[in-house]
Amino acid sequence: MSSAFVLDVRAITKKVVTQEGELEILQPMSLTVTSGESVAITGASGSGKSTLLGILAGLDVPSTGDVYLSGHCLTAMDEEGRARVRAENVGFIFQSFQLLPGLTALENVMLPLELRGNKQARNSAINFLQHVGLEKRLNHYPQQLSGGEQQRVAIARAFASQPNILFADEPTGNLDSATGAKIIDLLFELNRTQGTTLILITHEQRLASLCHKHIELSAGAIVSQ
Amino acid sequence: MLALNLLIRNWRSGELKLLSISIVLAVAVLSAISIFTDRLGSTLMRQSNALLGADIVVESSKSISQEWIDQADAAGLQQARTIEFASMVFAGEEMHLAAIKAVERHYPLRGQLDISQVSFAVNPVDIKRAEYAPARGEIWLDSRLLAQLKVQLGEKLSIGELELIVTQVLIREPESRNPFSSISPRILMNIDDVPATQVIKAGSRVDYSWLLASDKGDDLENFLAWLKPQLTKHEKLQDINSSQDRLSKTLESGKNFLLFAAVIAVLLAGVAIAIAARQFSDRHTNQVALMKSLGVSASKIRRLYFTQLFVLGVIASVFGLLIGYGIQTFVALNLEKNYHFVLNSAHLSPYLFSFVSGLICITFFALPALWFLPAIPPLKILRKELAISGLQVWIQAALAFVAVIFLVALFSQNLRLTASVSAALIIIVIISFAFSWLLLAISKKLSQGLGGFGRLAFANLQRRKSQSLVQIMVFSVAIMLLLTLTILRTSLIDDWRAQIPVNSPNHFLINISPSDVNDVSAVLAAEKITSAPLYPMIRGRLMQINGKVPDDEMAKNANALQREVNLTESETLADDNKIIKGEWWDKWTKSSLPGVSVEEAVAKSLNLALGDKLLFSLGGLELEAEVASIRTLNWKSMRPNFFFIFEPQSLKEFSPTFMTSIFLAPDQKIFINQLLHKYPTITVMELDRIIEQIRSIVNQVSDGVGLVLLLTLAAGAMVLFAAVMSSIDSRKQEAGLLRALGSPQKLILGSVLVEFVVLGILAGLIAIFGAEALLFSMQKFVFNNPIKAHLIYWFIAPVGSAIFIGALGVICCRPVVSTPPMVVLRDAT
Repeated sequence: MSSAFVLDVRAITKKVVTQEGELEILQPMSLTVTSGESVAITGASGSGKSTLLGILAGLDVPSTGDVYLSGHCLTAMDEEGRARVRAENVGFIFQSFQLLPGLTALENVMLPLELRGNKQARNSAINFLQHVGLEKRLNHYPQQLSGGEQQRVAIARAFASQPNILFADEPTGNLDSATGAKIIDLLFELNRTQGTTLILITHEQRLASLCHKHIELSAGAIVSQ
Repeated sequence: MLALNLLIRNWRSGELKLLSISIVLAVAVLSAISIFTDRLGSTLMRQSNALLGADIVVESSKSISQEWIDQADAAGLQQARTIEFASMVFAGEEMHLAAIKAVERHYPLRGQLDISQVSFAVNPVDIKRAEYAPARGEIWLDSRLLAQLKVQLGEKLSIGELELIVTQVLIREPESRNPFSSISPRILMNIDDVPATQVIKAGSRVDYSWLLASDKGDDLENFLAWLKPQLTKHEKLQDINSSQDRLSKTLESGKNFLLFAAVIAVLLAGVAIAIAARQFSDRHTNQVALMKSLGVSASKIRRLYFTQLFVLGVIASVFGLLIGYGIQTFVALNLEKNYHFVLNSAHLSPYLFSFVSGLICITFFALPALWFLPAIPPLKILRKELAISGLQVWIQAALAFVAVIFLVALFSQNLRLTASVSAALIIIVIISFAFSWLLLAISKKLSQGLGGFGRLAFANLQRRKSQSLVQIMVFSVAIMLLLTLTILRTSLIDDWRAQIPVNSPNHFLINISPSDVNDVSAVLAAEKITSAPLYPMIRGRLMQINGKVPDDEMAKNANALQREVNLTESETLADDNKIIKGEWWDKWTKSSLPGVSVEEAVAKSLNLALGDKLLFSLGGLELEAEVASIRTLNWKSMRPNFFFIFEPQSLKEFSPTFMTSIFLAPDQKIFINQLLHKYPTITVMELDRIIEQIRSIVNQVSDGVGLVLLLTLAAGAMVLFAAVMSSIDSRKQEAGLLRALGSPQKLILGSVLVEFVVLGILAGLIAIFGAEALLFSMQKFVFNNPIKAHLIYWFIAPVGSAIFIGALGVICCRPVVSTPPMVVLRDAT
């Protein structure tokens, strides 16, 4: 077990079985991330970025190799064990926001807090929504919000549970460049103020250049780190 | 608490609408039907018990033991005793044999005694319901006895040593026993006056009856369970089934029908909830994935959903129950208004079963789908790479099927019905799957020549093949069940009505002396009264078969050996009699003995063959005859029917009297009075009251069945609606896109119409096929009715379902095309 890194990935691979036979999506790779660091993962479509992110976050398991997150070996755990680690350490921001359409902005942010039994869920959620500038949109449903606003709700939700490590899958992918820039600023500001480790997939060089570390993938392999 | 918050949020956002509406409607329809059915069933039972005067009667040749009476008291039963005997009654110079029934003051326990101050009263103004049976010292007389004894109300007559005052004319009494068993006119008196008459002596033939009733069904059943083992050969239990075969069959098939209707409502409700639950779990896959990515454990997610669904189920079921109660109250009030037919209150079980059924449906239909979700890696759910294994799908389907069968068994508590329905369901699912697959494949070929929306529609059907298959299956099952119920109702009601044709004879004239035969025939003809031929009749007992006295075993089983039977002779064979062995007189080779034609069942119980010699005793004289033919007859005809018909002239020397049956409309009843005044020796048996009562019960059952059918149709419409709505989600985006690309409304709605019409036709065809199969098994195993095909429905089913489902599809999709495409697309994503 390693405790020096918030994330320690050792020789992982990912293979899937298709009709044409076995396909190797990720070739053997290792990497480490220290606490408070920001890491950008870039690469062309189909290079394996999202698969890698899913494995790093414990949302999926590698075919071989080990992943340590905050000292927990995810690959040695079952789905329930990984869920516990995620609950304690991990936050997510998805490209397609993944807001629940039936819940208001406030309720979407409250949900992870409520799931942890936080009695102050409502106040904390309002606080985070104010932080991302949505105090006037608390009771709006996702479909009543613009793309940028929806992503800000998703960010507020991700930070509301105060994770050690935040994974973001193309957080600006669905946004125009001006809105995207605002979202990036917000992410890094929260990264600084909360001391959260940030791992994000992006196509944008500006965003990648703001990160401490830049990992480039091609055909399932790390080509630069 | 969090589960409740989530529930409230889901409710507010409209995600639970279809599921809650389905549960509310399902429980509403189910409870309306089962509560109504329960009330109707117990009311009809009570009504028919009015013919018996009680729920159950213990008949005995001895007085009922005090221990039994005390025990029945302790069990909280209502009870009344009667004593029946025949005795001569005297009024001055006149005397007549009467069938006397001595009763307690609170007789009868069910039904009523109708009395009048006018003989042969038919006008309702003259007839009133007696609050109590005769008091001590009083006596009530049958109308014709007043004429025969030439007494007036207020005058005295004597029975044995006791003089009693005639205070009322007895118009009707609960009387369902065989009317031929007592052909003397009835007298009703108080049971406490019997000892003073001193007519009952050792060896007198006296029938004691003990009437029992209870408003709580279980009390009586428990008591009977205690009583039955103690009954000896002197006592016999009589209930409405044993005393009124015709009525009991109607009630039985009516009950089975209502049961079947309730079962179909259960199935339809189950299907509707299953569809809604499927949609609910589909819509919540993202929520589950998100919770998982937030690190919530699978067990906690399950707990959250199960609590939500349970609370939703309870609330929706309570609402459903309230609505169902309202519907059946409305129906009951209507019945009361139109037919003055007051229903009993329902038992607790239909409320309980309906309430539980909503929860069972949710548990088995909605939960299994959600059970597997938390076990799938969240990334797969988010990427919509849902990899639910074949095994899981089978487990879900099996659980749903088990739930459905469990509910059917719960509601019907009838193994045969449950087995028939389960088998038909399995068959219909397999057949509809195979048929729809085949028909869809054919439709693909057929659509190639089409243009415009026709082509689009067929392309859509093909593209959504699995959804189309499921939809056809659901439509077929729903339509099949409704068709079965509709066809069954029609054939049952026809069957019931046919039992007692309009204008079937309702009075028997007996004891017509040979010298009056011509005059009576002339009077009947002059009054234009329909009558059967006049048959000579004499009572006789079968003594020997082929020179031997029948053994005890045979005597026990053959009804014809236990008592005197009515014998006749006739030259012609009645229309509804049919010779199955031997020949009627015109072709029969005459033997040295007179010939006799024997009814089939009697011949069977006596092991008779053609040529067997039968020795009868007729009032002390002997008559030997040879079996010339064996024949069937129609006991339902209400015409004089005989076990033994002799060759013409055989009975002449035994001085028989004559009998016939006639039909009298209510306004012709006065004819009896005229007839009896002119021919006082004639005995009239009035069956009109029983016939009228049976007919009224048949009408009430038919109406009840019709109303239940309507409720079930509502449940069916609900299923079709849910099935159409379930596919709307996937159509929204598509329609929005087509609209955005500039497609006219006509193209989109046209293709939706063609698509649903095709689904409707296919479902209608499969449904009628399945309905015929289900009907076959229902008629054969549950209703014991003849089986026939229903050709007209092979046309009605596909056309009707095409119109209904097509219209439903267009109505449901209309909002999608009339809303701006931007809004539709945004909602869909």
